[in-house]
Amino acid sequence: MTRALAIMRVALGALFLYAAATKLPDMGAFAESVANYRLVPSALVPATAVATIGLELALGLFLVTGRLPRATALVATTLLGVFTVGLAQALVRGIDLRCGCFGGAERATWLTVLRDVALLAAAALLLARGPGRLFPLRGRAPAPPETAPAADG
Amino acid sequence: MRLLVEAAIIVVAGALVGVAANAASPRPVQLASTVHAAAESGGAMCAISGAPAAAPAPRIGVEAAKALCDACRAGFADARGASDFAAGHVTNAIHLPPAGHPDERAAIAALRAYPLVVVYDGDYRCALADEVAHRLLREGLPDVRVLEGAWPAWVAAGGAGESGFCPACLAHPHAEGAP
Repeated sequence: MTRALAIMRVALGALFLYAAATKLPDMGAFAESVANYRLVPSALVPATAVATIGLELALGLFLVTGRLPRATALVATTLLGVFTVGLAQALVRGIDLRCGCFGGAERATWLTVLRDVALLAAAALLLARGPGRLFPLRGRAPAPPETAPAADG
Repeated sequence: MRLLVEAAIIVVAGALVGVAANAASPRPVQLASTVHAAAESGGAMCAISGAPAAAPAPRIGVEAAKALCDACRAGFADARGASDFAAGHVTNAIHLPPAGHPDERAAIAALRAYPLVVVYDGDYRCALADEVAHRLLREGLPDVRVLEGAWPAWVAAGGAGESGFCPACLAHPHAEGAP
């Protein structure tokens, strides 16, 4: 189980890094995607877009390296929750838009929501069960949820 | 409590990384600007919420615009969002959304080389093209028209775009008198 959690953590981190990397060449386009969700005032869209990409980069690095694993899992769970709710509300409201998830022109559908729910479940599992044992913890035993702070090191 | 502090550290670190990444991006976001929801498909969502609607600019039919394109006698400005532009646009069109072009001066200078500029939108009901057309007219461009029927009409008419018509424009992108 610990190995599975570790693999899940690294995979989720790699996915965050990939998502950020696809947006970096054209952050203006991602800002337009954020605006099309109609969740934040237009004046806050640039800051939201920049912070989202930066957060994806930071989460990717923290997840892959295993630093601050519980806090990383908490932030990742929250961010993926926002993504999922944002996508779902847009689809429910009938807004036809690009997902913006991995750059490009991928259209948002309920399958996109389902994908986000799966990623959200993975992040929540990391939050609840810990980061696993792979290299970042350097031999420390994985802690059960109730002893999580001690495992964060 | 410690968990929340660490989470806050990650969020702040992420925001700072984002600012640095934006500074290094070839097409950054202007943090002090506003970004409106752009036209993604037909419907009222194309309108810029809260913004006064631009007065309709002079129109041009798609067949007339096509003829001008084939003769390289018109420049084209694409007022849609970047993802739509990337997915397909009129051959040699310049991406000029209402939010502005990263190199606005060069973009307008390129369009100024043509006797007529055609601005098009993603949806014929949108005001984006009108807004851009008025901006170009204010810049002193002599003749700026908005494409009737917008991008969907252009595609339906087989206009130069991803399908690759207007090869002369590729060879002479800004030549007013090109064949």
